[in-house]
Amino acid sequence: MKKLIIGLVLSLMLLTMFSACSTTNELVFADAGWDSIKFHNAVAGFIATNAFGYDNWREVSGTTPITHQGTLTGEINVHMEEWTDNISTYQQDLEDGKLKEVGINFDDNYQGFYVPRYVIEGDAERGIEPMAPDLKTVQDLKKYKDVFPDDEQPDKGRIYGAIPGWEIDNIMHNKYLYNGLDENFNYFRPGSDPALSAALSGAYEKGEPVVGYYWEPTWLLGKYDFVLLEDHPYDPTKPEEYAEGKTECPPVRVTIAVSNEFFEKDPEYCVFLSKYRSSSQLTSEALAHIQETGDNHMDTAKWYLKKYDEFLDDWLDPDKAQLIRDALK
Amino acid sequence: MNWFFNFPFKIPFDVTVIDEVVRDFSIKYDAFFSGIKRLLNGMILIVQKGLNYIPWWVFILVVIILGWKLSGKLRNGIIYACFLSLIGFFGLWDLMLETLSIVVTSVLISIIIGFPIGIIISKSERINRIVRPILDMMQTMPVFVYLIPALLFFGLGKAPAVIATTIYAVVPLIRLTNHGIRQVDKEVVEASIAFGSTGFQTLYKVQIPQALPTIMTGLNQTLMMAMSMVVTCSMIGASGLGMEVLIGVNRLEMGRGLVAGTAVVIIAIILDRITQGFVRAEEVSNNV
Repeated sequence: MKKLIIGLVLSLMLLTMFSACSTTNELVFADAGWDSIKFHNAVAGFIATNAFGYDNWREVSGTTPITHQGTLTGEINVHMEEWTDNISTYQQDLEDGKLKEVGINFDDNYQGFYVPRYVIEGDAERGIEPMAPDLKTVQDLKKYKDVFPDDEQPDKGRIYGAIPGWEIDNIMHNKYLYNGLDENFNYFRPGSDPALSAALSGAYEKGEPVVGYYWEPTWLLGKYDFVLLEDHPYDPTKPEEYAEGKTECPPVRVTIAVSNEFFEKDPEYCVFLSKYRSSSQLTSEALAHIQETGDNHMDTAKWYLKKYDEFLDDWLDPDKAQLIRDALK
Repeated sequence: MNWFFNFPFKIPFDVTVIDEVVRDFSIKYDAFFSGIKRLLNGMILIVQKGLNYIPWWVFILVVIILGWKLSGKLRNGIIYACFLSLIGFFGLWDLMLETLSIVVTSVLISIIIGFPIGIIISKSERINRIVRPILDMMQTMPVFVYLIPALLFFGLGKAPAVIATTIYAVVPLIRLTNHGIRQVDKEVVEASIAFGSTGFQTLYKVQIPQALPTIMTGLNQTLMMAMSMVVTCSMIGASGLGMEVLIGVNRLEMGRGLVAGTAVVIIAIILDRITQGFVRAEEVSNNV
């Protein structure tokens, strides 16, 4: 009797598993942990389910290296935001043919050391005096170590660096060394993205001075008024100078990549991805919409597609574009 | 039929209110939290300076002697010393000291807080009933839930790491202090009262010495749990071996992560064996 029950339960479980596997025709996106990628996933997912015959789409969550790894192994079909500069093995993987880059999502973003605007200009409304009125460039920081004290070592200043493990972290650290900031500043690695944004937004809410690495497009820089510190201009003929930290950060190429398997399986959808294009500005606008209205990513994606209707013609065949327009109604 | 499988109703509850309250609270009482932060940073700095002041070979000598005396075998001491010097060979000695400064500070604070609380709840059944669910919560609440708010109050770095570690690690010390004092034989306590000791004298001269092996076991557990938080705390910027592991994992550099992870394990094992040795030594001296 016992065996019979166990057998029944097992076969039932197997049955549901099989039926789950056979009926779904789903698309798997990467969720590397920040808002903009979820937004782009929603836009691409909405188009996939409404014009390319997918039943549904889902996200696999993880960090930058984990989602990149997932794309290499094929567990993730589409990665909408590969921050190529933050993945040390990206070029190598591409050359080895481990994944396919199908398009560029955006490549006009900024990153670098930011300070709140009130640090330089003050804020009469909040009663904040300018603390570092002549701070304009990374090199100027040297004069202001007392403005940004390090709690753990009060005789030095503190600069929040990038997330440990991101490629840009090495570059920012080089920049810190190259400009001789190590004399009177500590380069403080914040450990994780939420920790860094909590440090910057916490300081901003309290009106305290803070200097740290951040990047656009993000909700944080959309919501708070931060100023990017200038640096020597980037020279495209000498990219190694950038890696050594001598120049400002050029925009990162944020690409759309797909797994090899998926590239074979659905070339039609990959053609759409290769035409897909946004910009730092557009993405920030969508993220600001999420912050302001409290809409989820899916609703924001619909709002975005309605607002920028002309993109549908750029990205899709006329009949498919019509399917999306019908679905949006 | 839907209500049969799906929960039938939801209370509209706006969790963003909590965000606002926490944020306002952190701004309003900034001075208070900054004071705590300064105090903690001061403590960590003293511990770290103390550790840095000790030359490496003294550490290794101390480990040999303790391992030898506590287990009775010279061989054990030498094995521990070999493992410890491995950390030096890996070039992770300074990072180890940084990690130890967080762990040691957390354990010190745990003793200062946990030991008296353990005694208090061993004396009153009612307080025990109130405190126990709180202790359960401290151990099971996912760390990240209070790690990020801790950032808003205490900034990034070692101070919030010590707070998070203490919240997690203080629990076994409280529990086992409580347990140890409760399990002292009633007859022994009655005898001490019959001889005219006051309540404090009974506690100080009879109950605590009798409970010491159990309390030491609690301390050992506290130490181990503090070690297990090392990597988690690196996610809020606590430098040391944990940060090395985190960088290794984030970059998919398995070797780097594995070496730093091994160093964490070595420290944990040595600390565990030495404190367990103390427990055994206490048990032996009690039985004589």
